[in-house]
Amino acid sequence: MDKKINLSQLADLMSQAGGMSKAASEQFVKNFFDIISQKVLTDGLVKVKGLGTFKLIQMEDRESVNVNTGERFTIEGHQKISFTPDVELKERVNKPFAAFETVEISAEQADKLAQMEKEPVAAESIVQDESQTVTAEPEKESANDAKPVVKEVTQRRGVRFLLKFIVWILSILLVLVIALYLFWPLIGNRVLERVERNIQIRDKQELVVPQGSPVNVQPADEQPVKEQPVKEIESAEVEQETAEPEIPEPVVTEPAVTEPVVTQPVIKPQTETGETKPAVTLDVRLNSKDAAKDLTEFTEADTVNFAMTGELTVHTLKKGETITRLALRYYGTKKLWPYIVKYNNIKDAGKLQEGARIRIPVLKAK
Amino acid sequence: MNNKQFLTELSGKCQMSADQAAEKVQTLMEVLEKIWQDGDSVSLSGFGVLEVKKKNERVSVNPTTGVRMLVPPKLVLTYKPSTILKDKLK
Repeated sequence: MDKKINLSQLADLMSQAGGMSKAASEQFVKNFFDIISQKVLTDGLVKVKGLGTFKLIQMEDRESVNVNTGERFTIEGHQKISFTPDVELKERVNKPFAAFETVEISAEQADKLAQMEKEPVAAESIVQDESQTVTAEPEKESANDAKPVVKEVTQRRGVRFLLKFIVWILSILLVLVIALYLFWPLIGNRVLERVERNIQIRDKQELVVPQGSPVNVQPADEQPVKEQPVKEIESAEVEQETAEPEIPEPVVTEPAVTEPVVTQPVIKPQTETGETKPAVTLDVRLNSKDAAKDLTEFTEADTVNFAMTGELTVHTLKKGETITRLALRYYGTKKLWPYIVKYNNIKDAGKLQEGARIRIPVLKAK
Repeated sequence: MNNKQFLTELSGKCQMSADQAAEKVQTLMEVLEKIWQDGDSVSLSGFGVLEVKKKNERVSVNPTTGVRMLVPPKLVLTYKPSTILKDKLK
């Protein structure tokens, strides 16, 4: 992926494919491109069937501004080599995105889209961070999702604030306990009496407390009692937070948008699995940790309304494959992974085992 | 220069028949296509780089009607001539 293939590598591949010797194919490839680059200079146009057209075009003089000084200057007219790929080749290269169509949108939605681009929304930035793929991310859905995403963000902010608050309280408590321990001699007497009383109230046989040591017994007793409930709350809180996004609900309640903006990619049952791979998926290999992060932090807002109609195929999970990767492979976009999760009732997508059988649903745009 | 002329030139240089050359071009195209589908780029000194690039989706406006269109993202094969070739242009 993302390699640069040079002449000798190309000749290698060519000799493998065509039953030619390496030297002959290298010579051939060299001649092939030499002729193009020579003839485009002399003839001004080279058409190669299957590849495209190379053309020499004249650029007119134009004015430009020096960015540093603000000075105006003219860029002299020059000649440029343009390349237009063959229509067939163009279509085949664009195959992963072939399902998309140009759509008309209203001015309002266009504005919304522009806004979405300006402010980086949490969910989308994650997608971009997580692997620098040049993959199919139909970000067109964003117009529909503007509202839910915002809601989600505020919700998350609230949870974060709560967490911070709890941690704060906890630390204050800790400081108090430490202070109590340090300034024990000052207030010790009073508490000592209480401790003695407590011990008497309790089972008398339980512990014979040496006169000097109740000092130590007290804080040890009190500390856990004070802290436990708070800790419990905290852990419960944390659990809630993690649990929430783990149950992805693909069906998004749509904000009142009257026109459907998005062309839903039409998902066809693809038989040739080798060819379904998007051409430029560069680094889809996420490890399971990444996938878990992906799954927990992904918002439901990134999905659109699809209905699951029947089963496309059953996929046996190989090493390094994740649900998102399957979504990418079968639907051309990572964002549709929640449907696979839902269809299979997967509890924790980060803990899938190699060899697990994943059923892939057929998605149909609602 | 059209395809036929190109093939004649190529066959002359490689000492083979035009049919053979056409066949070889065919296999070369298949190999190239495979490379591009894998997301790799072909870089040849003296010629340039042929690579597939992703173009993001964008909103375009029809200047006469003012209709806004959302143009989907696409993968496009691009060609960037090498500096050697560019220098020859001057």
